[in-house]
Amino acid sequence: MEWSGFALLILVGVGIISTGLPAAFVLIAVASLGAALGLATDTFPFSLLWALPGRLINLFDNDLLQALPLYVTMGLLLGRLPVADALYRTSNAILPKRASAPLVSGMFLGALLGPMNGSVGASVLGLSRVVAPRLNAEGVPAATRDAVIAVASTLGVLVPPSLVLILLSDAMLNAHTYAVTQTGRVDRVINTQDVFHSALVPAGIFLTLCMLLAWRAGRSQALSPVRERLTPQEGILAGFALFALLALLGGVATGYFYAVEAAAMGAFTLLSAGLISGRLHGAVLRELLHDAIAITGALFSLLIAATTFTLILRLLGTDRLVDNLVAGIPGGDVLATAVILGVIGLCAFVLDAFEIIFVIVPIVIPPLLVRVADARWVAVLVLLTLQSSFLLPPFGYALMMVRGAAKNPAPFRLFVRALIPFLLAQWMLLIVVLLVPKLVHIGENAAESTRAPAAPVSNEEINRRLREMVPPPPDIEPK
Amino acid sequence: MGWLHRLDRLIGQIVAAAQWLALPLVLLLFLQWPLRDIVRGYSREANDLGQIIFALFVAVSVTAATRAGTHLAADTLAQRYSMRTRRRLKQLGAALGILPWALFVLFAAKGIVVSSVLGLEAFADTNNPGYFIIKAALWLMAVVIIAQAAVDIFRPKPADDV
Repeated sequence: MEWSGFALLILVGVGIISTGLPAAFVLIAVASLGAALGLATDTFPFSLLWALPGRLINLFDNDLLQALPLYVTMGLLLGRLPVADALYRTSNAILPKRASAPLVSGMFLGALLGPMNGSVGASVLGLSRVVAPRLNAEGVPAATRDAVIAVASTLGVLVPPSLVLILLSDAMLNAHTYAVTQTGRVDRVINTQDVFHSALVPAGIFLTLCMLLAWRAGRSQALSPVRERLTPQEGILAGFALFALLALLGGVATGYFYAVEAAAMGAFTLLSAGLISGRLHGAVLRELLHDAIAITGALFSLLIAATTFTLILRLLGTDRLVDNLVAGIPGGDVLATAVILGVIGLCAFVLDAFEIIFVIVPIVIPPLLVRVADARWVAVLVLLTLQSSFLLPPFGYALMMVRGAAKNPAPFRLFVRALIPFLLAQWMLLIVVLLVPKLVHIGENAAESTRAPAAPVSNEEINRRLREMVPPPPDIEPK
Repeated sequence: MGWLHRLDRLIGQIVAAAQWLALPLVLLLFLQWPLRDIVRGYSREANDLGQIIFALFVAVSVTAATRAGTHLAADTLAQRYSMRTRRRLKQLGAALGILPWALFVLFAAKGIVVSSVLGLEAFADTNNPGYFIIKAALWLMAVVIIAQAAVDIFRPKPADDV
């Protein structure tokens, strides 16, 4: 029955595409079918399904998942407050007066707001609202405009502390815990902070490449830029927003506060600014909160559906089958990792990043980490693959969203042509990180990645430490 | 179908009430950092209270997404279907997908939820009261999903659905 899990996975893909029903509903329906199949064939007893409520309650009391509504609220607030507009116009005013400046500013805005926006969809909508009309006004061709917006909207996937990064970190933590338990290795289990640190250098490289490519795309257009004057209020707002965003990013990167706290600070600051400035009055606030609970629900329902689905796959024994298949991949770490990334890339044709994180990562990454000890490297490669998946023609989520949001979308062929330099840069980076794992370990303290002591500890030392931790009561202390 | 209309309105009111929980959630989670690093106290209490509010918020959020139509879906192909086919698919999804699952969760969680609520279970790490609300939130989620599925299944077809 182990193979039936794969049939269920295919059924999920077919169901999602052919019915147009919510992915969460399809996952739950297919999981129910799998459960019925397992019970009918005596593959597992009914009592094992009783594990489901406990797993669902774990989602309710997961500290990290609190970030979901916070990021969603932040993304919605950014769409309703003039912060994005001020940042874009200030960046444009600071850059040299060249035709490339608006494209670079759009990219810069994507990198700044992407991590705070919560989702690629929210970034696309925000950038389409702020950047697209200005690029149109400056005569940028529709294909270049759409390509820059699509790429900029995915930058939040890589730049910490984004929602995708946080959710992937949680999935990686579970996968790594499994791998460490299975192998008895002394690795310290990876956490959100580790994934943030590891993603910084690749994110920096990709961001730089994107800026350069945006600059180059603008140069070849040979446009005459039209500029509006920047008001002092906009400059001050942009300065404050930039300071706050960098402080949050820096605070999380240095471990001064947790990702959830950073998200809460961002949401609280924006909410306060909206309330004080009067922009979030009664009806607007009600609408914002309505959207916040509805979008949070979309992500959370996917999470509960994936939890149900992966439980059924485990009960059917598909996880053990995947373990064996991954263990049987010939070659070393690089080939095994490349094969799994290929599987994730294939899934990206029918599933989006959140679905991949919730459904595919828990199935394929634990056995990979049993084989491959470097969890940070695997995490960054999965992130890069996920980002690629958003931009993969013809069905990449960001591409579809950009075309849906644009008033006059570019012809698809021209759009893809404008996108090609960015896609090549992304795939090149993916290959470089795959071949040079050191890129994700820059600035890392080697002692932090293991639970093993740096030097052997003597029995006397162990006894001394135990006495320090639990001192004997005074009345029985030896004299 | 007066009962259906009343049920639909009741779910709408529950969602409308729950959406305001986002505000205390943002506030409590924001306060964690100053409480921990500046006040040096009560940050665990803020965290536990935030966790309770989060559980209630997300419990209702699933149905809020269903009502608002914000669930992630790939409907490029389905957009070509007639309104009637799409409506039937939606009813089928509710009847065969989400409803049996929610009924099972309600049934299977009975032991966990009832014992936790009757024992007024506290948070294990901090001994703060209220952990039972998190477990009860699972039932809240299942009940609201069941109610919404019933509305979606039995909703009368529109006049132009031929």
